[in-house]
Amino acid sequence: MIVEELVLPVLMVFFMLAAGAYTVAVLDRVIAGALGTPQTGSVWIAPLARGAWLMTQHANATEAPDWRAWRLAPALYLSLAAIGLAVVPWSGSLVATDLVTSVVLWGSVEALATVVIFLHGWSANALFALIGGYRYVALGLSYILISMFVLIGVALPAESLQFTQVVASQEELWNVIRQPLGLPLFLIVGLGMTFWGPLNLADSADLAGGTAAEISGPPRLVWDVARAAMLVAFSGVATSAFLGGWLGPWLPGPLWVAIKMLAVLLVLLLLGRLLPRLAPERCVTLMWVILLPLSFIDLVWAGVGALL
Amino acid sequence: MIESMSHGIGVDIAFLLLATLAVVTAWRVFRTDSMVRASFFLLVSFIAVGVIMILLAAEYLGVAMFFMMAVEMTVMALFMVMFMMNPAGLNPMNMVHQERISIGAGVVSFLVLSAMALLAVFPDRPVSAGLDPVRSLGNEMLGDSMLIFESAGLVLLTTMIGVVVLSSHRGRYGAATEGSLPPGLESGGDPAGKPEEDEDGEDGGHHHHHH
Repeated sequence: MIVEELVLPVLMVFFMLAAGAYTVAVLDRVIAGALGTPQTGSVWIAPLARGAWLMTQHANATEAPDWRAWRLAPALYLSLAAIGLAVVPWSGSLVATDLVTSVVLWGSVEALATVVIFLHGWSANALFALIGGYRYVALGLSYILISMFVLIGVALPAESLQFTQVVASQEELWNVIRQPLGLPLFLIVGLGMTFWGPLNLADSADLAGGTAAEISGPPRLVWDVARAAMLVAFSGVATSAFLGGWLGPWLPGPLWVAIKMLAVLLVLLLLGRLLPRLAPERCVTLMWVILLPLSFIDLVWAGVGALL
Repeated sequence: MIESMSHGIGVDIAFLLLATLAVVTAWRVFRTDSMVRASFFLLVSFIAVGVIMILLAAEYLGVAMFFMMAVEMTVMALFMVMFMMNPAGLNPMNMVHQERISIGAGVVSFLVLSAMALLAVFPDRPVSAGLDPVRSLGNEMLGDSMLIFESAGLVLLTTMIGVVVLSSHRGRYGAATEGSLPPGLESGGDPAGKPEEDEDGEDGGHHHHHH
C-alpha cells in the first residue's frame, strides 16, 4: 500500500521533474539553433554540461540577505512545479495525486508561485532583484485571475474540480475546440508565470537578471531547473484541461499525454524565441484591458455551453 | 462510526507535525523583525491549517485556504511595506505593540478555547462514506443561501471596482498625471520641502554677459 500510494507517485514526479527540465533545455537549444542562433557543442550534452558547471561554481552572497528565504525560494518554486506535475493524469488511473479538487490545487500553485517569486527577489537585499520581485507581484495577480476564469471554464462541462474528470468530459469534443479562447489564454499565463520569452519581466535583461540577478552556482541551477519544470507542469495541465489528456486513437494513453505535452512545450518555447519582450506597463494594460475581459467571455461561453 | 474513525497512523503523525508547524510559525510571526517575514510566516501557518483541513476531508476548503491566503498575504506584505517607513521591509523593526493588552487578550482567548475544547459536548454525527464533500459544500453555499452569497459577491466586486476607479488617478499629492508635489505646510502655501528659489536665479546667468 505504501509503495503504491507514496513511493510510486513520488518517483513519478521526480522523474517528470528531471526529464521535463532536460527536455525543455534541449528543445530550447534546438529551436534557437534552427532560428539561427549559433550553438556551441551538442544540444544533448550542453544542458548537462551547464548544470555540472553551475554545481561547481561559487554561490554568490549579497550584503545581509534573508538567507533562509533566499536559499529556500528556488527549492520552493521547484516544489510548486512538482505539485503541478503531480496533478497531471497520464491515464484514467495513472496519476500521482488524484485529489477531487486538483484543479483548485493547481490554482493554488499559481498563487503560491507569486509568493515564492516575490520572496526570491526580496530576500536578496539587492535593488534589481527587488524590482523584479515587485514587478512580478504586480503582473502575477492578473495572471492568476485569467488562469482561474479559464480553468473554471473547463470545470463546468466536467461538473467536477478533478483533472481526471475534466479529461473524461472531453471524450466527445476537446475543450480546445469547445472553448477556443481557453488554451491561448492559458498558454499566455504559462509564459507569464514562468517569466519566459515575451513575458520574462521578473528576471529580464533590463533588470540585469531581475530576481535572479544576484544568484550563481547551485541556487542558480535550482532556479533554472524550477522554471523549466514549471513550464512542463503548465504544458501538462494544458494537455489535461484543453487537449483531452490521455484520449486519442491507436496509441496508449500515457504516450498521447507525452506527445501533447511535447507539442505544447514546442509552441511555448517557439513563442519564447520568436516574440520580443513586452514593456511591463504595456503588459499590465494588455492583461487587464484585453486578456481579462477575454477570459470573462471564455467563462460565459463555457457556462452557456454547459447549460445547453 | 468505526468506518469514519479508521484512519492510519500516518494521518495522526501528519496532524501532529502540521499542528506543530502551524503553532511554531504563528509564534514566529510575532518574534520576527520584518513585515514581509511576518506575513509569510503567517502564510505558512495557514497552509499547515489548510493541510489539516484536507486531512479532515474538507478537500475544497483546505485547498481554497492555500490560494486565498497566498494572495492575501502577498497583498498584505506589500501594503504594509508601502505604508511603513521601512523601505523594502528588510530593515529590522519591532513587530509587537500594546504588549499588556495583547498578553491579556491572548491568555483569555487561550483559556476560553481550551475550556471549549475540553468541556464542550461535540455532536457525534458520522457522515456516510459516499458523501462528496465538494458537491455538498456547493449545494450548501449555492442552494438555499445562494442569494446571500451572490449578493455579497456582487457587493465585493462593485467595491473593488469602485476602489480602483477612485484610487487610480488621485494620489496622495494630487492627480497622478500632474507629477507629485507634497502639500504645503499651511493650507494653500508653497509645497513643503521645496528648496528656496533664488529671486533672480533663472536669469542670473544673463547679468554676467553685459560687459
